[in-house]
Amino acid sequence: MFDHNRAGTAYAFTAFTAILPGHEEAVRERIESLPRGPESPLARLDTLHYSRLQIFDELVYQGPPQKKRDRLKSSYLVFTASLDGDLDPFLDAIADRLPAEADGWWGHCVAYPGAANREAFKRWLKHNQVPNALFSSMYSTESVQAVRSALALRERVLEFATAAQGLEPAELQRRFHTELAGLV
Amino acid sequence: MSQVEAPRPIERVAIPGGGNTYGARTALMLFTPIQPKWTLLVRVSLWLGKWIPFVQQHILQFRFIHFVRWAVVRELPYNGPPQEPDRLNYSYLLFETNFDGAWRNYIDSFAYCISRDIRYLWGRGFAFPGPPPAEPLKAWIAENSMEGGTYYCAYPEASTRDVLAAVAVRDRLGALVNESEGLSPEAFQDAYRRFLVDVQAHL
Repeated sequence: MFDHNRAGTAYAFTAFTAILPGHEEAVRERIESLPRGPESPLARLDTLHYSRLQIFDELVYQGPPQKKRDRLKSSYLVFTASLDGDLDPFLDAIADRLPAEADGWWGHCVAYPGAANREAFKRWLKHNQVPNALFSSMYSTESVQAVRSALALRERVLEFATAAQGLEPAELQRRFHTELAGLV
Repeated sequence: MSQVEAPRPIERVAIPGGGNTYGARTALMLFTPIQPKWTLLVRVSLWLGKWIPFVQQHILQFRFIHFVRWAVVRELPYNGPPQEPDRLNYSYLLFETNFDGAWRNYIDSFAYCISRDIRYLWGRGFAFPGPPPAEPLKAWIAENSMEGGTYYCAYPEASTRDVLAAVAVRDRLGALVNESEGLSPEAFQDAYRRFLVDVQAHL
């Protein structure tokens, strides 16, 4: 209830992991060459709504009245994930379903223990977690699977409504129970 | 009338095939310093936001936001050598949003519809170009946006409107299934027609 990373059943995970000196371009190349869409390794995480992996290497000086300039000593690999459910199963799923890819990008980060060392892997990511102050969503109680199912169901309803125009009541009722009622 | 400085090239945010867009979905992340005298106010405001329904409704009044998060970052995680600790002079406001459509439209909505809210939060930073107008704000965002990388969404074909409509259809269909138990064909037809009237805007 008091977890500010959570909204409804959704959870926002944010991690900043320092990249090993000299490895910045290797990480950039690694994450920017990942396949997109259904071929993305992140698509293997079935509780993941949205995610981004990016490199954070500069703090922008805003100009006066900002007096001091902050300069980063490390570049960071930033991983953000909007997921449904709890964090632990999500981190387990990363270790289970994309260990090679996870090692491929986080392996360039300081003190990364590897996905094979499950508990150390999860501890490391949690250590690098940045807690959120506020997280919100338009549909925070809907899981990824629920969203996908609802989208598919809407298509079915539309098809049914089109096909059922002009049916006699008994036939309409029969087809409704055969074709739609079992989908909810 | 004072002349507004020409905005910097905003294409910087939407790199071709880049890490912040996929299909019609866009991600935006900002990491901007907070003036020390306002850090506590920003922290408390965001913390309270979770508990005040009005704030949530206000954030989500634009029906194109899928997920949005804020964090106040005082220090970055440290993992020991060879990492050197990053000791920051300021706390930073991290903002990430996932939304439908082009980010220019998103910022236009923010700049003109909730300009006070924008100024309330990001105006606690330095040299923030409080909107309206929107163009200086877009230039500021282009300058502060984190770019590149890779971006994933599980249902890229669906806008928030699509998702909300699909959920509404599912829920109303569930109600129809429940209420149609034991109805005569004629009574079922009436119930089905009411269902269609209710969901027609969502199909």
